[in-house]
Amino acid sequence: MQSLDAKTLPGLFERFAARFVAERDALIALDGKVGDSDLGLTMSKAFVAARDKVVGEFADADISTQLKQAGGAISKAAPSTMGTLMATGFLRGGKALADAERLDAAGLGAFWRAYADGVAMRGKAKLGDKTVLDVLDPIAAAYEAQAAAGAELEAAGATAAQAAADALEATKDLVAQHGKAAAFQEKSRGIQDAGGTVAWMLADELAIFLKTAAS
Amino acid sequence: MKKFLNKPEDFVDEMLEGIYRAHPEVTYAADDLRCYVTANPVPGKVGIVTGGGSGHLPTFLGFVGKNMLDGCGVGGVFQSPSADQLAEVTRYVDQGAGVLYLYGNYTGDIMNFDMAGELVELDDIETVSVTGNDDVASSVVGEEHKRRGVAGIFFLYKAAGAAAAKMLPLADVARITEKAKARTRTMGVALSACIVPEVGKPGFEIGADEMEIGMGIHGEPGISRKTLAPADDVVDEMMERIFAETDYAEGDEVAILMNGLGGTPKEELYILFRRVAQLMDEKKVTVRHVWLGEFATSMEMAGFSISVLHLDDELEPLIATAADTPFFSYFGK
Repeated sequence: MQSLDAKTLPGLFERFAARFVAERDALIALDGKVGDSDLGLTMSKAFVAARDKVVGEFADADISTQLKQAGGAISKAAPSTMGTLMATGFLRGGKALADAERLDAAGLGAFWRAYADGVAMRGKAKLGDKTVLDVLDPIAAAYEAQAAAGAELEAAGATAAQAAADALEATKDLVAQHGKAAAFQEKSRGIQDAGGTVAWMLADELAIFLKTAAS
Repeated sequence: MKKFLNKPEDFVDEMLEGIYRAHPEVTYAADDLRCYVTANPVPGKVGIVTGGGSGHLPTFLGFVGKNMLDGCGVGGVFQSPSADQLAEVTRYVDQGAGVLYLYGNYTGDIMNFDMAGELVELDDIETVSVTGNDDVASSVVGEEHKRRGVAGIFFLYKAAGAAAAKMLPLADVARITEKAKARTRTMGVALSACIVPEVGKPGFEIGADEMEIGMGIHGEPGISRKTLAPADDVVDEMMERIFAETDYAEGDEVAILMNGLGGTPKEELYILFRRVAQLMDEKKVTVRHVWLGEFATSMEMAGFSISVLHLDDELEPLIATAADTPFFSYFGK
């Protein structure tokens, strides 16, 4: 399958919500190692709100609107730093797909690139700072490369999810520079980044969604 | 800590409850006390929204009112309001002509105002941001974008509010506000620290005979700490910094804001202003407008700031325009 339409997109937000509700306690435990333990709470709240918005009021809207409205809902439900960054990602990603009638690998590349750029700008982070950006950037790069190679959505999703998993593993070798984790400096080494874990979960659910949509 | 409080965590919301009860010309949007707005929006006018942490009254919310601002996101003490609160204020304030975001140059506020601007794009509301950065002490010439916004934002509020009241479009209101920003400079000095209610103790130590030149309104470190000098000498040192980066020519006009930080009485502000006026006289610069009192405080901090706006033919009538808010009334000249 090369592309999908807006009508299927609410199904992706069903998946995101279910995943973050299921992983709530795991994220709380992970964030608690170097942060303030609220990541599981804010992300489950954020993506439940995004699902309610997209599956409800905006189920018939176009792709760009669904993604932007998800961002708006996340911002309202989760005014923490990570919530604001994820909201920015969906707002910027949605804006990058203005007028897109169908979503293909190139569109997903544009979405994740705008997502990563928005997060970098708002969070004032750069690659290697051990943040969510260290996983978002490889996801965007994977979709861009897959699109250039003419890949189908299912293969592109699987490749991007694997790139995210590898990038998340690699965050263990980095030292935190931002947020509360920065106070731990060297102690943050060996621990996978909590924000990066969120990005990997998004890429992983997206891959499963694309695989399911193709079958 | 010696403050009149019920519970420290209720400091901001109980303050707001008192303000709403006292001043029916202001109210709140979205069922959130911290989404502070005028009760009398003007149809078709560009909206002006400010916001920032609590602990600085009358800044920020105090300037919401006639011919000034339309709304204010109210944060916790020294904390930014959330993007969502700012977006709610924006939706209430917008009258179809767009909204100017006018606030101090602080990282948290910038992030939340930028985010709010993106959120209200979903409602087709246009926003433009101008950040006050008048504090000369907070960064060097050439690095003005790193400077903090302090009391001088009052002049930006005044100019922007009067421009919007003339029903000018958003682009013009923003341009005039940028001009007022480029021509405003502030220097401050602190004699004592403030106490954040939920912290309960002073934010820093300062000797009984010491002053800190250039301290920020949240107790950010200044340029130098020294033994308190006579009032004239303190003013001379502060004005020297302002004169060093301005070009007031003979016959030029300025507006002066003498601002108490919370613990300094007006008597002392007049002693200080006396010297500011002498220095302006020496330069043959006309002091066209003077406001003296508390405009941007740091709760009980003792100290003051001097803000100078270099007027021109466009800004002067705007600064001279009457205004009426719960914290500031001016009948015009």
